[in-house]
Amino acid sequence: MIEKRDIKRIGKYLYEIPTTHRDDMRVSARIYADEQLLEAALSDRSIKQLVNTTTLPGVVKYTLAMPDIHQGYGFPIGGVAATKPPDGVISPGGIGYDINCGVRVLASRIEREALAPYVEDLLQAMYHLVPTGLGKGGIKIARRDLDRVLEQGAAWAVGKGYGTKEDLARTEARGCMAAADATKVSQRAKDRGFRQLGSLGSGNHFLEIDEVTEVYDDEVAEIFGLQQGFIAVQIHCGSRGLGHQVCSDYVRLLQKAVRKYEIELPDRELVCAPFESPEGQDYFAAMAASANFAWTNRQVIAHWVRRAFEEALAGKIPSWRLTQVYDVAHNIGKVEHYTMDGKRTRLVIHRKGATRAFGPSSKELPKVYRDVGQPVLVPGSMGTASYVLVGTDRALDLTFGSTCHGAGRVMSRTRAKKTIWGEDLMRQLRQQGIAVKAGSMAGLAEEAPQAYKDVARVVDVVVGVGIARKVAKLTPIGVIKG
Amino acid sequence: MKNSAPKVFEEVEHTADAALRVYGQNWGDLLANAALGMFSVVADWEDVQPLTERKVSLQAMDGETLLVDWLSELLYLHEMEDVVYISFEILSASPNGLRAIVKGTEKWSPRTAIKAVTFNDLRIEKTPEGYAATIVFDT
Repeated sequence: MIEKRDIKRIGKYLYEIPTTHRDDMRVSARIYADEQLLEAALSDRSIKQLVNTTTLPGVVKYTLAMPDIHQGYGFPIGGVAATKPPDGVISPGGIGYDINCGVRVLASRIEREALAPYVEDLLQAMYHLVPTGLGKGGIKIARRDLDRVLEQGAAWAVGKGYGTKEDLARTEARGCMAAADATKVSQRAKDRGFRQLGSLGSGNHFLEIDEVTEVYDDEVAEIFGLQQGFIAVQIHCGSRGLGHQVCSDYVRLLQKAVRKYEIELPDRELVCAPFESPEGQDYFAAMAASANFAWTNRQVIAHWVRRAFEEALAGKIPSWRLTQVYDVAHNIGKVEHYTMDGKRTRLVIHRKGATRAFGPSSKELPKVYRDVGQPVLVPGSMGTASYVLVGTDRALDLTFGSTCHGAGRVMSRTRAKKTIWGEDLMRQLRQQGIAVKAGSMAGLAEEAPQAYKDVARVVDVVVGVGIARKVAKLTPIGVIKG
Repeated sequence: MKNSAPKVFEEVEHTADAALRVYGQNWGDLLANAALGMFSVVADWEDVQPLTERKVSLQAMDGETLLVDWLSELLYLHEMEDVVYISFEILSASPNGLRAIVKGTEKWSPRTAIKAVTFNDLRIEKTPEGYAATIVFDT
């Protein structure tokens, strides 16, 4: 167990575990947190999991924990690690089973007061149109179209009429990783994904109707399309059974690669292969295909959300149009370039429960955001608030262009279910003016606000460090839980 | 109605995901109990005669991989068929393979959805009573 005395404070919000802590560490581990968030991280195995990531072959500089860190499997959630090819590895456990789990935010010109009489109707229309729960729903596609989804990503959906080209410009990587290869995705994964495209799933995934209750930066908020008092929508989900199966397949396959390349690891969930090896490249191509599936999934869901707005609000509110603010991945592996020892260096960045936060100097951003930086979407727990931040160049220097991804859990699902009744929670949320639809009361209880850290505290740390800036706060008025 | 599972597994605290400590007098027991434990996390079910029946046959490089493959196979069947498996007849089992007949019901209600079975700190231990393992699930 790692204790506080093993950790050195090296900045106002920065702590470090030096390589002297354990013989197998190749680089140090760094934690961005305030004292209270650090204490929370020390209460479970998350810091040990962070230290384990420092043992990966080819890892560079340091591995990082964001302030929303909590215990995961293999990597902690809220972890970032960079490796340097060709010997540097890629690890499926450093990306997660829900490949490209992420968030999309849509903005509107609908005022809260104007929507108030229709919130229940709108929520009902969204619940009706967007399939939720295990294995359910999805649009009907031909088998051959699934391979196109895997290789073309969100552009496939836009080509079929689900959304606009403007949506693609406002999606991380334009909703498509070019490295994707559908032949590297197993038939079993395709069987699972085939009937799930355009569905929310369950667990912590949600659809949320929000009000923009605070604007911290008028100029940037306007560029993002957000305005105080107006309605926004959040979509949080990932690559469904397809991504889960791809990760399971490759965690299994790479058990052999670890032996082949004589890699020693403190936890089997960290299995990996050199990025440039056949095994590493196969996984990266399958992961990219799964990421493309996830972007397509959120693109199709956004289309159904727009349809729900039309069905519920046409003739009642002058304009129900929804424009996309952005779509970000928070479980993903990317090849990116950073300056190391004065040289431009190609690195494999693992973000597991961490969001890309590129600042204005990044050439990867769409024209519309090139002067300000990319939107960073940080969902909070139900009943609290979410934040829209903007990426900074400082994040490129300090955290491999990464920042936090949410509130971060602090209470186990088991304990949440024992101490909170779904029905009570639903009543409390209603009293706060938040309408809720949920597939299961137990599932709702697991996601209770009490089970999460204070998202405002998490955001204060990343803003204090300068790896993101606050733009707007979103407060929920209607939630659909998967 | 609550599950009427015998105490052959217990839920272990895990901040973000679900974890189970499972026990078995022998290999077959351990595998069957792990499967029952996993579905007890996933669902509540009516006390009905199981209807759907499947044969499962697997081979693996070691015991831990077999345990993960077995549970992953059942999760796959669960998601594809919308069936919760509640009866596990292990015909033969060793650390390198198993043959089993599993039976399940379509009458269930969701509890915590499991995305995947992980290898996180997974070690099957020999105990005076047989075998034990702690399994972490991504939820």
